[in-house]
Amino acid sequence: MAVRPVLRLPEAVLKQPAMSVVGIDDTARALAQDLVDTMRVSPACVGLAAPQIGVGLRAFAVDVSGHRKARSCHGELVLFNAEVVLAHGPVVAREGCMSVPDLTGDVARATRLVVRGITVDGEDRVLHVDAFEARAFQHEIDHLDGLLFLDRVVSADAVFHRKVYR
Amino acid sequence: MGHFAVSAVGADQPGIVAAVTGVLVGTGCNIEDSSMSILRGHFAMMLVVAGPDDLDAARLEQALGDPARDLDLVLAVRAIDDDVPTSPEGDQWTVSVYGADRPGIVHEVTKLLAEAGVNVTDVTTRVIGDADRPVYAMLLDATLPPTIAGSEVGRRLDELGRTLGVECAMHPSEADIL
Repeated sequence: MAVRPVLRLPEAVLKQPAMSVVGIDDTARALAQDLVDTMRVSPACVGLAAPQIGVGLRAFAVDVSGHRKARSCHGELVLFNAEVVLAHGPVVAREGCMSVPDLTGDVARATRLVVRGITVDGEDRVLHVDAFEARAFQHEIDHLDGLLFLDRVVSADAVFHRKVYR
Repeated sequence: MGHFAVSAVGADQPGIVAAVTGVLVGTGCNIEDSSMSILRGHFAMMLVVAGPDDLDAARLEQALGDPARDLDLVLAVRAIDDDVPTSPEGDQWTVSVYGADRPGIVHEVTKLLAEAGVNVTDVTTRVIGDADRPVYAMLLDATLPPTIAGSEVGRRLDELGRTLGVECAMHPSEADIL
């Protein structure tokens, strides 16, 4: 259980594809707890991927509970080796990222998603997510592929200064 | 280290950014912020650069004279404050305005916002559609002080839109931090 520093650009680990997790052991469970603990420190943060705390493994935490744009909500969830099985209906909205200081950007994301992954209990799960939870999942899965929202902004004039620092 | 505002505008063609920034590198300047885009066929550059202590605005403008002549650019360099001015804090909103083109749309909308204490942080305007039926479109980012209700400013904008015969709407544009 530990709050870890959130790495920011230009840390190289943020741009590297992460490796699959082999089996949910004590190390994986500790990573899951660190992701949740670190996510909880910033009240506005709804998701955190392992590369953001310097771990090059395919794991992320997400929790969109109480968010005004959320429809589906699986509560606090850590997923390992998550992959998008189906994606539908791109919509553009503004995103920021704990690892990209000062900027936000307009990014098109699918609004409905089927995602497959392994939970912290080692259970294989297929999740149907939509709306804001779908956006959060795609943002975090991008981190596992070494992609930041800056790699996906819809155009050069769709990047903005972030005014509120959290 | 001194700071300069550099602006350059000229008919769009390949090589404008490369030529201007080539001089900036050569004079020891670092681009700290910039916005560049095509405005009605003209490539417009606005840059804030930091330069070495022994460089002044007149000398930088002179150094930029070569690419300005070659590419027919209207160019200006001015010294600016080294301190970064701070903008008012508050909630982020986006105002969208579109409708039949007529003079005064930008002024009327921004006058309303200014009188309400709203700070405009970004404006883009475009004339779109056919030449015989031009449509004016404006997107504006603004910061609302915590003391002002967005719904109230939105209501006033809606009223103004009716007077001007344009659609005028406002929505929160706070980014979600994922």
